Amino acid sequence: MAELLSHVLVAYVCFTVASWKLDWLTKRWVAVGTIGALLPDLNRIGLFVSDATLEAAFGVPFRIGAIHTLGGTLLLAGVGAVVVADEHRRAFGVLLAGGLSHLLVDALKMYADGVAGTWLYPITWLRHPTPNLYVSSDPLVFLSTGALAAVVYFVDRLRTR
Amino acid sequence: MRLAVRATVAVVLLAGVVGLCVHYGATYEENWPHPTGEQLDAEYDRHVDDQVLLFGEVKDVNPDETVEVHVTDSADEVVAELEVDVGPGPEETNADSPGTDSIRDEATPLDPSAVEPGGTVQVYGELEEDRSMTADEVVVVNSGPDAATYKHGVSLLGILLAVGYFFRHWRPDGRRLGFEPRTAGKTERIGADAELEQRPNGSRNGNG
Repeated sequence: MAELLSHVLVAYVCFTVASWKLDWLTKRWVAVGTIGALLPDLNRIGLFVSDATLEAAFGVPFRIGAIHTLGGTLLLAGVGAVVVADEHRRAFGVLLAGGLSHLLVDALKMYADGVAGTWLYPITWLRHPTPNLYVSSDPLVFLSTGALAAVVYFVDRLRTR
Repeated sequence: MRLAVRATVAVVLLAGVVGLCVHYGATYEENWPHPTGEQLDAEYDRHVDDQVLLFGEVKDVNPDETVEVHVTDSADEVVAELEVDVGPGPEETNADSPGTDSIRDEATPLDPSAVEPGGTVQVYGELEEDRSMTADEVVVVNSGPDAATYKHGVSLLGILLAVGYFFRHWRPDGRRLGFEPRTAGKTERIGADAELEQRPNGSRNGNG
């Protein structure tokens, strides 16, 4: 996966550009979208507790990687949607879109066998070919998304003046 | 939506997340086309001569174009210490150019200087019986410990940025146990929501 800053910046870019066309997509919803971009990486709980520990705790097979899939993102967007006090449907849609932007960006990263991860689960276990665009530890990833976000930020400021 | 309904939905969906992780864990091995750490540990010989994709930590980089890679299981225990040949393909006479007996001109899967102990790699290649592997492709995920630190540090910045941006526009409402928009006039320069909220008679449903 790309590092989270790039994911947040990509979501910011996508939602801000979309907001130029969609009147309802105000800055508060752009902010919700950037939170959505964090959702798939909640599987990084795995950095602190291993799957084996969770398997022992639950007594069943367990793989936290399920969060970093379509299914996991869909469910977490649903949880996020009821955490806001109102406008749950809109919150759900924006969180889901943010999560999808994350998964799509990750679908482009490098795999040594040339096919992406199983992020389409549970719809399918299919691993599609990846263009092998990047590895996350390459600073060029952040520099590219950062430059893009800076351009969009300034264009957005000019538009709202 | 009433608080009790919201809480119920949240609990049901979180249970769904746990259920999804259980199903994913129970079916992963039969659907992932490569051996997992557990499978490599339990039945290494079954995968000998297979083309496999493995993830592991680099323990040593040798001058003879081999890299020692440690593969772990789900408990982060090392289950295989593999010597991975990352040099160019086998020396072959180029059949298309008789007489040149040149070595096949293929890209080396990995420049050993691109990675150091503590780094992380993906290796795709043929697993061999003497706990070694010949790599066809190697992806350097983290070139070393510094690369992993960079990734985690930048990711933390991303979390702070998103959460900070969110709280600029939303605030927790203790009474309703949820987030509500901050006063629109302070955060929204333009937009339908702001226009509605700034109109004298622009009452909105649900924002009481």
